[in-house]
Amino acid sequence: MAAAARPALKRALPSLRSSTFLPHQQQPHCHHHVPTSRRSLSTTPSHRNDAQPTNPSDKETHFGFSTVTTSQKRALVASVFTSVADSYDKMNDLMSFGWHRIWKDHFVSTLNPGFSPLSSTSPTSPQHILDIAGGTGDIAFRLLHHAHTVNSNPNVKVTISDINRAMLSVGKSRSAALPASQQAALSFVEANAEDLRKTRPLTPILSQTEQTFFDPATATSGLEDDSVDLYTVAFGIRNFSDIPAALAEAYRVLKPGGVFACLEFSKADKHPLFNSVYKEWSFRAIPLIGQLVAGDRDSYQYLVESIERFPRQEEFRDLIKGAGFRVSGDGGWEDLTGGVAAIHRGMKPRE
Amino acid sequence: MYVVGNILHQTMAYPAAVNCSGAARRILLLPTTTTRPATRSFPRRLSAVTSRPITTLPSTPRTKSKSTPKTQPPTTPPPQPLQTRRTYHSTTHPPPPSPFTQAETTLLTTALTSHIHTHGFTLPSLTLAARDLSLLDISPSFLGPSPVARLIHFHLYTTRTTLPSLASQHSDLLSGLSVSEKFELLTWLRLKQNEPIIQHWQQALAVMAQPSQVPVAVRELAMLADEIYYLAGDKSVDPSWYTKRAALSGIYAAAELFMTTDKSEGFQETRRFLRRRLQEAEELGGAVRSVGEWVGFTASAGVNLLRSKGVRI
Repeated sequence: MAAAARPALKRALPSLRSSTFLPHQQQPHCHHHVPTSRRSLSTTPSHRNDAQPTNPSDKETHFGFSTVTTSQKRALVASVFTSVADSYDKMNDLMSFGWHRIWKDHFVSTLNPGFSPLSSTSPTSPQHILDIAGGTGDIAFRLLHHAHTVNSNPNVKVTISDINRAMLSVGKSRSAALPASQQAALSFVEANAEDLRKTRPLTPILSQTEQTFFDPATATSGLEDDSVDLYTVAFGIRNFSDIPAALAEAYRVLKPGGVFACLEFSKADKHPLFNSVYKEWSFRAIPLIGQLVAGDRDSYQYLVESIERFPRQEEFRDLIKGAGFRVSGDGGWEDLTGGVAAIHRGMKPRE
Repeated sequence: MYVVGNILHQTMAYPAAVNCSGAARRILLLPTTTTRPATRSFPRRLSAVTSRPITTLPSTPRTKSKSTPKTQPPTTPPPQPLQTRRTYHSTTHPPPPSPFTQAETTLLTTALTSHIHTHGFTLPSLTLAARDLSLLDISPSFLGPSPVARLIHFHLYTTRTTLPSLASQHSDLLSGLSVSEKFELLTWLRLKQNEPIIQHWQQALAVMAQPSQVPVAVRELAMLADEIYYLAGDKSVDPSWYTKRAALSGIYAAAELFMTTDKSEGFQETRRFLRRRLQEAEELGGAVRSVGEWVGFTASAGVNLLRSKGVRI
């Protein structure tokens, strides 16, 4: 029923076919279950159970308001971001009235990367920053600017990691506009945030039919334990299939004293009136803007549904604490714009 | 349990008592009621002062002291410590949990004790403290959007919570003083706590005057004024409960600012300033009371005069 109105998912089908870990690989006719189970207008329960998870190791998770297996979610998220990669910035500006730039600037300036106290004896100390799900480089470029220009610390390196090569490629081409010194401090790697032991450097996309999401089987390297000073993830963790696994990986790669920082959409229900306006905007206007501007309603429908599914500030703080991080006593998070977005910070303690 | 029974009792006796709950009372630590000067409606911590001389103030938080005023009706069950959040001050409840976690306390204490003197309330103090603890330069950013404001809040918090033990150290000075003399001395003791960091205190005040930090600063000031009045043994349960604390907050803030530019020996000028302000507040309070008395007397005399002329009032 919905096939004609699903351009994003039609584009996703080649990726699904070439996937090595999708359970439906051996049964081509089953591909169609994925789209129907995912879309069903989000609220129709009769289609909910159409997907047939055949791999017993696959856990169930959420994709927007639908229930899918973790590997399906990975593929579906990949398809969403492949389809929105080119119009990503334009859409962000339209959806948030440009306000996402304020959030990102605040996020980076409060983390203050590259800061070293002035002293005659010790030079500026090197830092390694890992920007997870940082595809288009929004956060990474700001981090670099803050460290290199504001804090005059050229010893700061940033690694941009994303599961999606399409997003990384957008970031790679945008990075050409940066000063050479900053370009030299950047590196792009493909990785799944839930297992950072397997990574590979960004490889260019040569053909349209190539799968764009990272396949761990092609990994050539990995991130070592205790190797990162600052781990940032902005508007990304919501899309992870297994958030506790990603937090555990963050804890593993961070050095003792390293900081985990997450900027993510959250709940604004402390302000009921504002919240109702915000909900109207996100559920009615954003998919419509997506349809008109990016020609892709489904991906933006997924976006607002995934925001709704994401845990509350307190629950997410407890997940971060559960991974072993230490948080501050003023709640452990900071609400932005009344809670539409929130910044969670945690520190890996020295045992 | 106890609280429920207590509230039920009060609801029957004075319905107004339960209506003034909410955020305002949590922040300002208001008494259970302000209209009835009956012993039942005393703020619990204030009534506790009657049964305990000021000289035996405990240095530890007021958790275990059992204090049941003799005038309490026998229907009230004996006080038991509760873990639930309370909306009024009580000596029978544990103190509220510290707003700082263990990891924060370690980092902030190191910064306060080792680096404030050289670097003041700044990010380098925190970064150097992190290095002392073999953490990273980036570590202080986990403290929140403004690590420096957090450091200043920590100073305000620790000085306020050490005031009771400071008071018990000076119990010989405090004994035998009147309430107003006691709170002059206690305010002075609190001001003296700023002495080691006084050259950096203007900077800290500037940070705490930023709009995003004002709620924290005002709450700390209100709690400090309440702490000082509690330790001084003030027992007012009328609207002067509010005006006294508001006045002391203003005077304290002014004296704190005065102290940052005071170059006199032992900050004697600050102490004189503080005494003058407290004296003025007392005189002003007396004047307001006199005017009120005069207005009340004249009004009732006027009414009686009209009645004597046959007006039906």
